[in-house]
Amino acid sequence: MPFTDFWMAMETWPLSMRIGESAWFPLLESLHVVGATFVVGSILMIDLRLLRLAGREHALSRMMRDVVPWTWGAFILAAVTGLGLFITRASAYVENRAFQIKVLLLLLAGVNMLLLHRVTLRERERLDSGESRSTAAQMAGACSLVVWIGVIVAGRWVGHLS
Amino acid sequence: MTDMLGALARSIAASPAHDGATYLLGNVPGLPPIVQSVHLLAVAALMGSIVLLDLKVLGLALPGQSLPDLTRRLIPWTWWALPALVLSGLPFVLARPHRYLANPVFGIKLALLVPALVLTFTMQRWLPREDSKHAALPWFAALSLVLWLGIVMAGRWIAYADYLFEGE
Repeated sequence: MPFTDFWMAMETWPLSMRIGESAWFPLLESLHVVGATFVVGSILMIDLRLLRLAGREHALSRMMRDVVPWTWGAFILAAVTGLGLFITRASAYVENRAFQIKVLLLLLAGVNMLLLHRVTLRERERLDSGESRSTAAQMAGACSLVVWIGVIVAGRWVGHLS
Repeated sequence: MTDMLGALARSIAASPAHDGATYLLGNVPGLPPIVQSVHLLAVAALMGSIVLLDLKVLGLALPGQSLPDLTRRLIPWTWWALPALVLSGLPFVLARPHRYLANPVFGIKLALLVPALVLTFTMQRWLPREDSKHAALPWFAALSLVLWLGIVMAGRWIAYADYLFEGE
């Protein structure tokens, strides 16, 4: 694993040791769960709308404008707390297969989000009406659902692999 | 109280349900993390429903949606999430009853559930009405938010409280 020395050094930072040896770890971990589950829960509403399975009478752009800021906030909470957890055992996490998959899925989720923004901007009126289909939007919605659920499952698996 | 819980744990440990749960969790590859993931996805459903609704009532989120309409669409997710949470949690309690019943954090989690469910049920009846401008609503929503988030966080802390108690 590249940068082994760097990951191991990270674990000896005062901050890493402070978190790892105190109640900060469980606190960060529970906030991490709150953030991550909120991201998935809020995105679910958007994804179901994209797939035209729910809320078709509501304009997609309005729904996204209302929900996405909260999703972002929850994501930032999950990311910051995740970082705090990571540094305590960085070298172990980078070697953990489930963690590697989780990071990969997070990158995919990010790419999907960018694509989604482009698609919804380009096809705004069509999507808002809920009448016509957009294959791109539906695929983005389906991918989003699968990838974010994958992040949660991979995250849970991290603790089960040593 | 501790005697009652101890007796309950012992009777669960002597039951066939315990044997079944222990066998399944120990022998089906990947079952524990899979069942826990179901539990987490059900938590996500709670976040996307009752938690979002509470934020809406507090005027913090979703300004563009009407409250009665949003309630009608989201609340079913809360009620479906609850049996999923019970069913995904039960195998673990059955497999290691003493670990949970002797753990005060688990007790706190369940204790918080009672007012949370009462509040959710009450809000479900009030919110779908177009004229619901009851002065208590924002207080209910704030309390509901604190309770549900507290329950989720307590759920994660169960594992850490274990280390404070010797011998199980």
